[in-house]
Amino acid sequence: MKRSKKPITPASATGAADYSGDEPEGLDGHTIEELNDYLDDDRTPARESIDNSPGCQIALAALERLRGLTLTLLDRDVLAEPARDDTWVSSILENLSREVHAGRDIPIRHDDTAARLTITEGAVRGLIRSAGDGVHGVVMGRCRLEGAVTELGEPVTVNVDAAVIWGHPLPDAADRVRRAVQAELRRHTELNLAAIDVTIHDVHAPRAGGTG
Amino acid sequence: MAEHPVVSLDEAEDATLADRAADGDMRSFEVLVRRYGPLMRATATRILGGSAESDDVVQDAFVVAWQQLDRLDDGAAVRGWIMRIVSNKSVDRLRARREHADIDDHDPVAPVDHSPDRVAETRSQEEALSSALSELPEPQRQCWVLKEIAGYSYEEIAEQLDLPTSTVRGLLARARKALTREMEAWR
Repeated sequence: MKRSKKPITPASATGAADYSGDEPEGLDGHTIEELNDYLDDDRTPARESIDNSPGCQIALAALERLRGLTLTLLDRDVLAEPARDDTWVSSILENLSREVHAGRDIPIRHDDTAARLTITEGAVRGLIRSAGDGVHGVVMGRCRLEGAVTELGEPVTVNVDAAVIWGHPLPDAADRVRRAVQAELRRHTELNLAAIDVTIHDVHAPRAGGTG
Repeated sequence: MAEHPVVSLDEAEDATLADRAADGDMRSFEVLVRRYGPLMRATATRILGGSAESDDVVQDAFVVAWQQLDRLDDGAAVRGWIMRIVSNKSVDRLRARREHADIDDHDPVAPVDHSPDRVAETRSQEEALSSALSELPEPQRQCWVLKEIAGYSYEEIAEQLDLPTSTVRGLLARARKALTREMEAWR
């Protein structure tokens, strides 16, 4: 990079930015890069030659304003984004494959021994989520099936996380989730349930403003 | 299959949504798409210097996110994780552009979004910054946006743009000088 100190024409006078690589005048031997690092370090340790230089102070102020504007620039960009309708969202969702998260195949007994019926692990997780979500004040989280689910009759432990909206009693919520999940799995699968462990991982207030 | 939950997913925390989406819950993923889609698109537009390819980039990023969500250990970090994906996807396009430009011996694609008449039409300082950015030489603009908006380190920019770190430092220094000079001019 060039470090010559020839005077440059201020951008304000020409209406065009100068990209020559020269440092602005009056920085008392410091560079914009140095000043930027100084800001990164929160101006510590203090450097007298910068703090006592009026030119550096002006440049530091400009750098700080640039940082502030950089933060608000993206916020403004987001606000200026055209409203995203359902078509935009569904065009994104259409590209996603459900098979990615299908998981293992879980066998289901059938009268005809020649037929092999299975339900995917992903579908079972869907049943579990749906059952838990039906419990008042609960949003289900992650869900794990532990055990040899691909073998009929093998004991399986179901591990679920749930968040509870503030104000709902926790032991009660956990218990109701357990019962709802158990009933749903008995209805739709032949899993040999060893245990259903419910972890309440979060208690939170409803988000204000929905999708904001 | 899924009935609607009593509590709306729109109110769920990122961690809950990320965990559920990692398990294959597309409705939770949809909430993340709505929550972060506009920010992702705005970021892609900034990195690319125009919005022509932004929808494609965001689309690609969501496909990757859907496929790899189960590798994300901390669901609460989904925002930063997904923003990094969209930034990397945007940089892929920058690289493709550059390779294309090398072959054709053309200049990089000019920014399309921002008016060059910055002095007369400036309505806010952000717009002035936006114009000043669009007037930077393309390599300077790319480095600056990746550093300041996408939050890359010097080393990451160097790796992503296939440049020596020293070159990245030099380009960033020039970009900062030009933008700082502009900031002083607007006071």
